This record gives sequence, C-alpha cells and structure tokens, in this order.
Amino acid sequence: MSFLEVTDVTVRFTVGSRLAARIKGEKPPILTAVDGISFEAERGESIGIVGESGCGKSTLAKAITGLVPVASGSISLDGRELAGKRDQALRRRIQMVFQDPSSSLNPSLTVEKMLSELLRVHQVVPRDEIADRCAELMDLVELPQSLLEALPRRMSGGQRQRVGIARALALEPDVLIADESVAALDVSVQAPILNLLNSLRDNLGLTLMFISHDLAVVRYVSDRVIVMYLGTAVEDRPTAQLFDDPRHPYTKALMAAAPKFGVKKAPGESALKGEPPSALNLPSGCRFRPRCPLAADICEQIEPDLIGPSETQRAACHFAWEENEIPA
Amino acid sequence: MSGNILEVKDLEVSFTAHGRTVTPVDGVSLTVRRGEALGIAGESGSGKSLALKSIIGLLPPNAAARGDLRYALDEKEPIPYSPTGVHGHGISIIFQEPMTALNPTMRVGDLIAEGPRMHHGLDKNAARTKAVELMRRVGIPTPERRAKMWPHQLSGGLRQRVMIATALSTEPRLLLCDEPTTALDVSIQDQILGLLQELRTSLGMSIIFVSHDLAVLGELCDRLAIMYAGRIVETGPTDQVFANPRHPYTEALMTSVPSFDASAEQLQGIAGRPPDPRNFPPGCRFAPRCGYVQGDCSSAVHELRTSGDGRATACIHPELIEGVKE
Ligand SMILES: Nc1ncnc2c1ncn2[C@@H]1O[C@H](COP(=O)(O)OP(=O)(O)OP(=O)(O)O)[C@@H](O)[C@H]1O
Ligand SMILES: Nc1ncnc2c1ncn2[C@@H]1O[C@H](COP(=O)(O)OP(=O)(O)O)[C@@H](O)[C@H]1O
Ligand code: SF4
Ligand code: SF4
Ligand SMILES: [Mg+2]
Ligand SMILES: [Mg+2]
Repeated sequence: MSFLEVTDVTVRFTVGSRLAARIKGEKPPILTAVDGISFEAERGESIGIVGESGCGKSTLAKAITGLVPVASGSISLDGRELAGKRDQALRRRIQMVFQDPSSSLNPSLTVEKMLSELLRVHQVVPRDEIADRCAELMDLVELPQSLLEALPRRMSGGQRQRVGIARALALEPDVLIADESVAALDVSVQAPILNLLNSLRDNLGLTLMFISHDLAVVRYVSDRVIVMYLGTAVEDRPTAQLFDDPRHPYTKALMAAAPKFGVKKAPGESALKGEPPSALNLPSGCRFRPRCPLAADICEQIEPDLIGPSETQRAACHFAWEENEIPA
Repeated sequence: MSGNILEVKDLEVSFTAHGRTVTPVDGVSLTVRRGEALGIAGESGSGKSLALKSIIGLLPPNAAARGDLRYALDEKEPIPYSPTGVHGHGISIIFQEPMTALNPTMRVGDLIAEGPRMHHGLDKNAARTKAVELMRRVGIPTPERRAKMWPHQLSGGLRQRVMIATALSTEPRLLLCDEPTTALDVSIQDQILGLLQELRTSLGMSIIFVSHDLAVLGELCDRLAIMYAGRIVETGPTDQVFANPRHPYTEALMTSVPSFDASAEQLQGIAGRPPDPRNFPPGCRFAPRCGYVQGDCSSAVHELRTSGDGRATACIHPELIEGVKE
C-alpha cells in the first residue's frame, strides 16, 4: 500500500443555470472535471501534473485537499480514507499553496500574526512555543526574521509566495500541493522557490504534488509526471523517461509546443491545433482523437486504458507501446 | 538607406509625484531593422512595457517621455515622428490580456473594423468584409459567425487572435508585442507564436517582442536587448547572446531558466531583488546583485559599448564573464 493512493477519483460540477434547466424541464448539464483518475505516491515522492488549461489539474488538487467533494472514487493517506468527511487532524495533513498568494493572504495581518494564529487555532504547538515555531518556519522558507513584522503588500511576489509556503508548512503537512505556485513569478525569483520546494522535500520528507503548465519547471521538481487531458490521465511515467521518450501523442504534441530554452525550434509546428474540446461534449472513444495526428478507426470505437509494461509506465493510447519496447 | 525601421535614442520615461521624480526608463536606445524581430527581455518592473508604450504614445497620462524617436515609413530613412499620431499609421501593438485591451461593449467584427474605418476611411461594409478576412487570416475558425460575438464569449487564445487581427487591420510595418502569450497555455502560445512568425515573413513586418521568457524570445527573435533597471545592458544576435552572454545579468537570467533536456543542473536564480526606480543604485545598477562586482563598478558610467561583431554590453568588466566561459 502506498502512502497516498488516489483511486478512480471523479469530480463533477453542475454547470449553467439550475433554474433555467428546471423551467425547461431538463436536467442541468453536468461537467465531469476529473474523470476516474488513479495514481499513487510514496512518502517524499514528487509528482508533477501538466496539461492544458481546464483539463482538471486544480480540481484534482482540490479533491485531494478536500476543497471539492468527489463524486466517486477513493483517496487514502497512510491507509486512512479521505474521500468522505475529514476531521481537522486529517485535513491538516494535506496542504495547498496557490498561484497568487497575495489574494489568499489577509492584507491587514503581519506574517507573524498570521502564522501564530494558525499555530494557535490548530494547536500545532504549545502556546509558549509559538514564537519559536514562527522563527523556525521563516528559516525553513529562507525568509529573514525581520519580515515577521511585515504586511503582505510590503513584500515582493517571491517573498509572498514563500509566506504562502510557510503557512502551508505551519500545519505540519505530509503532502504539499503547489498549484501553479511559480507561474506568476519572474524566472530569477522562480528558480530559488523551486530549489526551496526541492529541499523541503528532501529535508522534511514531504510528498509533493506540483501542478504547472510549464513542462521545464515540472521536469525540474518531479520524480514522476502525470499528463492530463480533459479530466483523465493520458500518461504517467517517471520524469526522465517521459521527457526522453513520450509515448502518448498528446504528450509528444505538448512537448513539441513548449518553447525550450537552449534548443533551436520554430514555433507553430506542434500537432496541437485549435483548443481542447469541451468536457461537456466528449468525442466517442479516445478523447484526444479530434486533435490526434495518429487517430485510427479503433480510436473512435474504444476508449484506451491507461496501461503499460509496468505500473510505473502507463499511457492511454492504443498505439503507445507498439514500437521499441522500453525497460519497465 | 539605413535599413532601420525604428530608431530610439536616449528614451526616458518619468513620473512626478509629491515633488519627486522617478525615471523607470532611463536612457534606452535601440534600433529595429526592416523585417527583424527584436526581443526585449528583463525582469518584472524593469521598464519593458513603458519603453514599448512610449514608441506608440500609449503611456499613462501622468508619464513624461523624452528622447529621440525616428520611424521609417515606406522605404525612406527614419525621421522623427509623434508617438501619439503613429497608432494605426504604421505601428500597432498587442498586449498580454486581450480582455482588458479589447472594448467589451463592441462585437468582435466591429472592433476589428474600427481601425480601417477610422484610419483608412473604409465604409462600414467594406470594413466589415475586411474584418472577416482578417479573422480568417489569423486562423479564427468560422469568422463570419464569430465576428458577431462579444469578446467575453471567446477563449483566451481566440481573443488574442482577435487582438492580432485588430493590430493588423491598419497594415502596420512594425508590430509591438507586450507579452502577448504569457497568459496562454503552451499549446495556444505555440500557435500564436507560429502565427506571428508567419505574418512577419509573409508581410515583411518588423516586430518588437517583450517577454520575461527567454525560451519564447529564442523562438521568435533575431536579436535581443536585455533590460535591467530601466536600461538596456546587452544587445546582440539571439544565438550569440545565449551561447556567450557578455553581461553578468544576462548570464544570471539564463541560469535561472529550467532546462528542457536531461542536464538538470541546480538553478541559480539571482540574489536580492530588482532595484526600486525610486532608489536606483549608483554606477552599474546590477552591482549589488552581481557575482563579478569590482571596486569601480559603483562609479561606472552607463554606456552600451558596441563591439565589431554586432554585439554590445554595458558591463565594464566583460572579460570576467568571458573568462568563465572559456
Ligand atoms: N503609471 C505609473 N505611475 C508610476 N509608476 C509607474 C507607472 N507605470 C509603471 N510604473 C513603474 O515603472 C516601472 C516599470 O514598469 P513597466 O510596467 O514598464 O515594467 P515591466 O518591465 O513591463 O514589468 P512587468 O513585466 O511586470 O510588466 C515599475 O517600477 C513601475 O512600478
Ligand atoms: N466550481 C466549478 N463549477 C463549474 N465548473 C468548474 C468549477 N471548477 C472547475 N470547473 C471546470 O472544471 C474544468 C477543470 O477546471 P480546473 O480544475 O480549474 O482546470 P485547470 O486547473 O487545469 O485549469 C474546467 O472545465 C472548469 O471550467
Ligand atoms: S488512442 Fe488513437 S486517437 Fe487516442 S491518442 Fe492514441 S492514436 Fe490518438
Ligand atoms: S559593471 Fe561590474 S557590477 Fe556591473 S555587471 Fe559588470 S561586473 Fe557586474
Ligand atoms: Mg488551475
Ligand atoms: Mg509589462
């Protein structure tokens, strides 16, 4: 049994106006944002999640964090089921860091006030140790102690992002989910935050889920990468192998689209034309079919399973494993 | 004929508030050749957008700009022009977030038709036809149908295409791009970059592309200008700048970019933060963060020194960084 087990997790949203649907006597449309995703992560492992906007990355993260309910499937941490109601202690164990910390930081609280409140309310440490813990958290995220007195607006984007990480770490989580946590930052600021996430994982044994649309960034922090397309995982492989030898046509196209620093390439030559279709109106068979350069008749009839030569080498394409066997 | 379409010399943009003047763009000089794509790279706040907006007269009302701007219409030599008059007459601009740049109360087709009607005197029907043509040109599927939609009904990628169509509607010879793909997915970004590249080749248009993303600039741009704290600190052909940077800031920026290939070296980042325009350090403005800093750097006079190979650097100790590269 793995530390974090996500099994067949599905998340649905009702979209459009319920009232309008009622008046028309129809059911409101239901959008399946996450459609039966399964993966496992060990303690200290770092999982990257990539995919185009709207493919369900954040929804998956929120389901694991408990911020949206799952329609079906199970999530277990350390052998304990999380999919239903979680008590406070259980909730603390999975924390999320968001893209824009300034909108989630209370503008009128200093960093110290914010952290000590959190430590007090959740009774993380005894009262007389709160100040010490605050100082320790600042050290962990490599911020000067002087910033404990600062208000969010006085800090730079990178500093605010570190405060966001400190806030998540205050609850002593086992799993840290970073959703586009560096997307809004300049590369020069992003780089040390990525290094920080790597070192937190090494030093605290955190399990990291790193969500980004930036493939190079994902490569830098992940042991394994899950590629999502329209709510499903289409490829799940160890990072180096995924990047060196992508097996799913979508992964290949995504990599072809990404600008690569230091590699000469012309823009506009990826197979990914147009935009992903709506998850409300999925094509039959393989959901990547309308954009897939390799689509064949079977792709229209049968939805491919996420399978491969081993549990750690999986891709959801009928032809993913046809050529040159790869080592399991 | 000089071959330059745009020449900017000693451009300054400043703001005055409470009796204090800050100058976030402080002596920028650059040239763009006909058909060339020039990239401007730099951290957030370095003055990229302000510099770009000065060229086309779109600065905020409380900004004051100074400097020598010259633009070459047709095949002539660049001559001084008024930036406020050039919009729609030879130069166009596209931005990062089309939603804030596109008038939300106008249908997409009318938005695109506005330029040709205003600047080229086309009548309503001719302008509409032209709008649909342009929408098709920039790869918008079913343009007749989409011309009747409002901007908010389109995806981010399609909105960006609408903005490009709007920019093209006045037949610019120079297109200014301010991070037009930063908010887009890599797939859509690639399509838009491909479109810009194709338009540039087929229309012989020049481009200035501002971005903090070196990988994106590498795909599109022939030449780069690296901007730091309101000044250009290095220029040169893209490949050469990447292969062998001659300013420590350029090098530091490069070592912050995660690489796509296997050699995942430790990323460096740049210590400290970019300086505040209210308080730029004296001499070389990169000195407080520079790993090669010498005693005389804080009294260095800013000057982009050109070498014979079409490159220029403002670092007064470029030999230090080149020594490392050997
Ligand atoms: N209207 C304004 N009033 C006062 N200062 C301004 C104004 N607009 C910009 N500035 C300042 O000018 C500097 C450069 O701004 P600019 O927007 O050009 O930076 P940039 O390089 O484009 O940054 P980003 O990548 O974040 O867009 C910043 O320090 C900014 O705060
Ligand atoms: N609260 C919600 N109500 C309705 N639809 C939602 C909601 N949250 C997300 N969605 C939809 O679910 C899909 C996946 O969204 P999201 O998880 O945010 O994707 P990503 O993070 O990859 O951009 C999208 O189509 C989005 O519009
Ligand atoms: S199953 Fe068919 S349509 Fe789907 S990715 Fe593979 S080849 Fe393409
Ligand atoms: S002039 Fe000095 S401080 Fe400035 S970049 Fe060169 S070496 Fe560094
Ligand atoms: Mg998201
Ligand atoms: Mg800008």
